[in-house]
Amino acid sequence: MFLKKTLFATLVIQLFCVVTLWAQTESTLAISGEVSVPLTLKKSDLAAFETISHKVKDRDGKEHEFKGVALFELLKKAGVSNGAQLRGENLVKYVLIQAADGYEVLYALPEIDPDFTDQIILLATEKDGKALENGEGPFRIITPNDKKQARWIREVRSIKVGFAKE
Amino acid sequence: MQQLRAWIRKQLPTDGLGFFVSVLMLSICSFALFIAAVNRNVPEPYPFKFPANFGNRFIIPADNPTTKEGVHLGRMLFYETKLSANNKMSCGTCHEQKLAFSDGRPVSLGVDNSFTKRNSMALVNLLWVRNFFWDGRSPSLETQAVFPLTDPHEMGQSLEVSVLKLSKTKNYPRLFEKAFGIPKISPQLIQNALAQFERTLISADSNYDRYLAGTYTPTERELRGMNLFMNPPSPERSLRGANCGHCHGGPKTFKELFHNNGIDSTFSDPGRKNFTGDSADNGRFRVPTLRNIALTAPYMHDGRFRTLEQVLDHYSDHVQESETLSTFLKGVSNEKNGSHLSLTGEEKVSIISFLHMLTDTTFINNPEFSNPHLFSKK
Ligand code: HEC
Ligand code: HEC
Repeated sequence: MFLKKTLFATLVIQLFCVVTLWAQTESTLAISGEVSVPLTLKKSDLAAFETISHKVKDRDGKEHEFKGVALFELLKKAGVSNGAQLRGENLVKYVLIQAADGYEVLYALPEIDPDFTDQIILLATEKDGKALENGEGPFRIITPNDKKQARWIREVRSIKVGFAKE
Repeated sequence: MQQLRAWIRKQLPTDGLGFFVSVLMLSICSFALFIAAVNRNVPEPYPFKFPANFGNRFIIPADNPTTKEGVHLGRMLFYETKLSANNKMSCGTCHEQKLAFSDGRPVSLGVDNSFTKRNSMALVNLLWVRNFFWDGRSPSLETQAVFPLTDPHEMGQSLEVSVLKLSKTKNYPRLFEKAFGIPKISPQLIQNALAQFERTLISADSNYDRYLAGTYTPTERELRGMNLFMNPPSPERSLRGANCGHCHGGPKTFKELFHNNGIDSTFSDPGRKNFTGDSADNGRFRVPTLRNIALTAPYMHDGRFRTLEQVLDHYSDHVQESETLSTFLKGVSNEKNGSHLSLTGEEKVSIISFLHMLTDTTFINNPEFSNPHLFSKK
């Protein structure tokens, strides 16, 4: 009986360890800075948002279908100023996006806001029906109107909203 | 005396207002002198000098501005053996100026005669680094210094003991007062001074810098190497390249990136993953600066390559596949559908001659970076 109990306990502990380890190693996306609710999102958390897709030519010169959610919706969820609030000093807010390898790109907040533009910048998680691969995913930005793909940043780890302080 | 007074009276205007103005001027002058005397204790800002193409994307902590006095103190401390448990080791032991502040060993030897886990890094252009160490675990030079100071396999002494030892010297309380305005030595001020000195270690006078400034004409081989280094290969358009610049490019030949460059397929040292806990970071390390690279052998985080020839052989022919291998090293080849870069012997030699253009003899001979404790013995 005692043996059984300890066996069970060790099993539970082991399971717990495995689960925490696994949870720790999954890539997440952090949204922070000038936000009212800082967010740390896992890929599964994106299911709560509407899925959007774009068919666009990537760097390889070929057309691909990227699926994901609108970057704007994530920022809205984090309470970033948007729409009618995007006036006055809020017009000098920027969005700094960082990748796992340290690569960084920058957008001005109005570039992402539907009151300012019809372009929907995507936080993609899928390409041609498959999850984005290592080195590209789990999260990648797709900005269809950018002719050069340099801001289509791969392996997105963090999004920081800030004020230009010049 | 009488005569003198008469003489002064003659020189000074005799009417009331003139006399008053003169006295006022005199007192303003002496007040200014007094202020200047007091101000001698306020540290002077250190003027950073670097080419405009290095850019200003760096942050110096507001509570530790760089001053001439702070830099001087930092230099004294950088070479101070009292900061180590056996009084024999300083930062300069593992970071030698003549080797661009690296130590020539695969891994370094600490006070306890055991080895560090990783290869000593060159200390070059740290002003532009934001995440320190091979895994980027330290966010500032101020916090970085605690690791080597206290690690039992490096200098192995607590900051409290260091403070005590320095406080007992004749020199240091005075130097701390000059640099920070307080004679009390503290762990934080030791870290601050070291950081100030390290920020001044700027290398910007190599032949490559001179080439960018239009004052050096590269040899044909150097130029060929430079082009190969900077350009990606494109066999479809018959353009040869090595794509090094993708990770090591720009005027500083440093971009702060973290990649797995394929030296292993399994990782005894998980590198950046140790810090982020993210399995996608397994085997990623910081892309180190290539400034003065000809002086900083052996190479990679564990010092596994003794020569630049071995490094080039690696990138050309031996990049190892793994889950986290950088996408910028996958399928990048000079042959159609090739799996490796496949450089020719001549191309490797050219790239190495370009790497030698990054050697900055002004930097390694700059007297402002040398060991100040040696002067008294000379
Ligand atoms: C025993 C040898 C040793 C000593 C002594 C030593 N270092 Fe280091 N240093 C290293 C090694 C090894 C690394 C790389 C460690 C790592 O990445 O985990 C390093 C890395 C660094 C870096 C990071 C550079 C970069 O580009 O990120 C800095 C800065 C540095 N050392 C400064 C110092 C200072 C300041 C001292 C004295 C307080 C010091 N070191 C003493 C061996 C040493
Ligand atoms: C995908 C990015 C990437 C590319 C492309 C790349 N490197 Fe590196 N390089 C790295 C990383 C990361 C390291 C450190 C790896 C380690 O220590 O584990 C490194 C290390 C080095 C070092 C050793 C530096 C030192 O201080 O020990 C040399 C030399 C070097 N690279 C040269 C080159 C050359 C030449 C090329 C082109 C043929 C090249 N690299 C292409 C990422 C890259």
